Amino acid sequence: MYKYDHIDQTLVDQRVAQFRDQVARRLNGTLAEEEFRPLRLQNGLYHQRHAYMLRVAIPYGLLSSNQLRTLASISEKYDRGYGHFTTRQNIQFNWIILEDTPNILADLAKVEMHAIQTSGNCIRNITSDAFAGVAGDEYVDTRPICELLRQWSTLHPEFAYLPRKFKFAVNGAKEDRTVLLCHDVGIELKKNKDTNHGELTADIYAGGGMGRTPILGSLIKQGLPWQLLPSYLTALLRVYNRFGRRDNIYKARIKILVKALGPEEFARQVEGEWLPIKNGDDNFTQSEWNRVAKHFTKPPYQSLPTLSNEQVIAKANEVDTVAFARWLERNVKSHQVPGYASVILSLKPHGTVAPGDATTAQMNAIADLADQYSFGELRVTHEQNLVLADVEQVKLFELWQAARQQHVALPNVGLLTDIIACPGGDFCSLANAKSLPIAKAIQERFDDLDYLFDLGDISLNISGCINSCGHHHVGNIGVLGVDKDGEEWYQITLGGEQGNDAAIGKVIGPSFYADEIPDVITNVINTYVRNRDQDESFIQAYRRLGVTPFKEAAYKNKNKAEKSLGIAS
Amino acid sequence: MSSQQQILHFPLGGKIRLAPNEWQVWSGPDEAANSTLPDLERSSHKLLMPFTWWRSHFHSNQQNPDVLAKAKNRQLGVWFATDDDVLIHADLIEEGKQYWPLVAAHFPIFRDGRSFSTAAILRDRLGWDKEIRMIGDVLIDQLLQGARVGFDSFELRQDQDLDVAQKQFDLFTVATQNSWRGKRTLISAF
Repeated sequence: MYKYDHIDQTLVDQRVAQFRDQVARRLNGTLAEEEFRPLRLQNGLYHQRHAYMLRVAIPYGLLSSNQLRTLASISEKYDRGYGHFTTRQNIQFNWIILEDTPNILADLAKVEMHAIQTSGNCIRNITSDAFAGVAGDEYVDTRPICELLRQWSTLHPEFAYLPRKFKFAVNGAKEDRTVLLCHDVGIELKKNKDTNHGELTADIYAGGGMGRTPILGSLIKQGLPWQLLPSYLTALLRVYNRFGRRDNIYKARIKILVKALGPEEFARQVEGEWLPIKNGDDNFTQSEWNRVAKHFTKPPYQSLPTLSNEQVIAKANEVDTVAFARWLERNVKSHQVPGYASVILSLKPHGTVAPGDATTAQMNAIADLADQYSFGELRVTHEQNLVLADVEQVKLFELWQAARQQHVALPNVGLLTDIIACPGGDFCSLANAKSLPIAKAIQERFDDLDYLFDLGDISLNISGCINSCGHHHVGNIGVLGVDKDGEEWYQITLGGEQGNDAAIGKVIGPSFYADEIPDVITNVINTYVRNRDQDESFIQAYRRLGVTPFKEAAYKNKNKAEKSLGIAS
Repeated sequence: MSSQQQILHFPLGGKIRLAPNEWQVWSGPDEAANSTLPDLERSSHKLLMPFTWWRSHFHSNQQNPDVLAKAKNRQLGVWFATDDDVLIHADLIEEGKQYWPLVAAHFPIFRDGRSFSTAAILRDRLGWDKEIRMIGDVLIDQLLQGARVGFDSFELRQDQDLDVAQKQFDLFTVATQNSWRGKRTLISAF
């Protein structure tokens, strides 16, 4: 993985010093809270319900075992013994005090980490495919471009006070695992013989997003040579910085500008801004590529035979065969290299902790597993799980046993209980409602692996408010917390999807009380089970049948639901 | 808009220094508190006029003689509001190069970043090579960004500590993207 050079290290060290001074000025009262706010946000520091929350960047989801140990140590020293991995390849600590933050950032800088631009109205941490470099369906390894863009966007002076936050995602695989079209800018990397002589190019999608106005991004540029990304993105961001709305925080994202102008007109304006600066010297060079890309070479794989599933299962003791086979089916993914596999460690145990949470002990143990089984590296997924990307197939059983001891081997990846959820009203001061008790109740209701396996692929995402940090819009089933007269209600959406067939879910009707949600989900699931064709997934069945049977099932128990008015579709 | 007594200067390739403010910012005819046009003939002050006002009073066929006289004395500059589109008015700015010793870009509130792009465009696209001043709600912690996009003088908000302000510009000895001040740092530099 990427190693900081002297420039990167100097920059993060000096950023810590700058923030230390800003915190000191805040504490001695010369910097007012309102003016400190964007400064702390640009260093990932939110003020939450109980304390400060610090969001640390895990750029494009890549983490070394040593970095994970530092995160573990921060969780122990400055927090309450756990951290929360987010959908956007960050980790959040929920119980931080302001005075400690410069020291935490200094600890992070020692292991080449930071919290720069993990919040605020600036270019955020860049997200990508957690399986970059190992995925079987990859046509371009996105990591060098992600790293080049990370550097280019870090402390970019022109775009530090955009109308609103700005998120890049980068994909280079056949299957999109980045929710590319739900980002302000989605960059799809390609190597196509027909364009640019088979050189690396980028297709640019703009104006996607979730939140209050969920919308998929529009293609505004095709076949952009990779070297020209800085000038093109400068032009794009310049148009947004100058003409994005600033009068209304809810209308300030780029999606509103793209929608208002229309994607063609937006593309035309970007092109007009770009042509005069197109050949500027801010563009990437081959030597910069070489400098960065040399860190993303393949680890020293051994030459191993590919094992069949049966051969892998044969390593297990008889008593474990069924459970191990389930784990192989759900949590182990194919790899580019013979004899290797990628393993997803589930941070979604049923009903015990928040989705995406890991304790200090778990983080330390998982770091050891990474050293032992996967060249000391890990990845963080959009679904808030961790990945050991390069595991020898012969060692899968051994790893499974070790992972079980840490309670991160539940074979529920991609199943109904692999819930994406934001921290919600238990922590977040933006939230209208709690997310975590809903996730817990659903996981407890569906705590039967046989049944979950029978249901197959289905995503359920929960957000505690319309900011949509739980990405409910792209869940096959989405749950959104809403506030009605000071009470917590939950709105259900159906039909959302991430991946190549990305879609925004539709609200099915009036919202529900928290205690109704497990029954509502059960009724929706039962409708699927009753009506599905053979091998038809939930989303396929939903698309065939339409919303009506699911909606009728959801409102079967109408008494309470009727009390809710006004939040209809 | 009231004016700071001291202006922080940081010319390209030069040293950071404080100097008395010679330029008074006229907020324009729309703001009640300061709406009267300053006495162009007798005022000894150098004046920064709203760009929109210049546009409507400095047409070549209806030139206001006082404006022209003051401009010719190098005593008039303009300031750009956040919604002035400097690209649309590139011709007028080109013409202004012969009159204005400096221009300014305004921050109505510190978190409105439009004027960063205005300064970048003036430098990158319109070839403005004289002073660009940051005016309005200018705070200590925006100076670094301002200096990198193209500003080289700074009228800070009245309550800002100018000693602390002067220390902001050399907080970083490296950069990972080009800016008006210089190219991104290359490892070969070490």
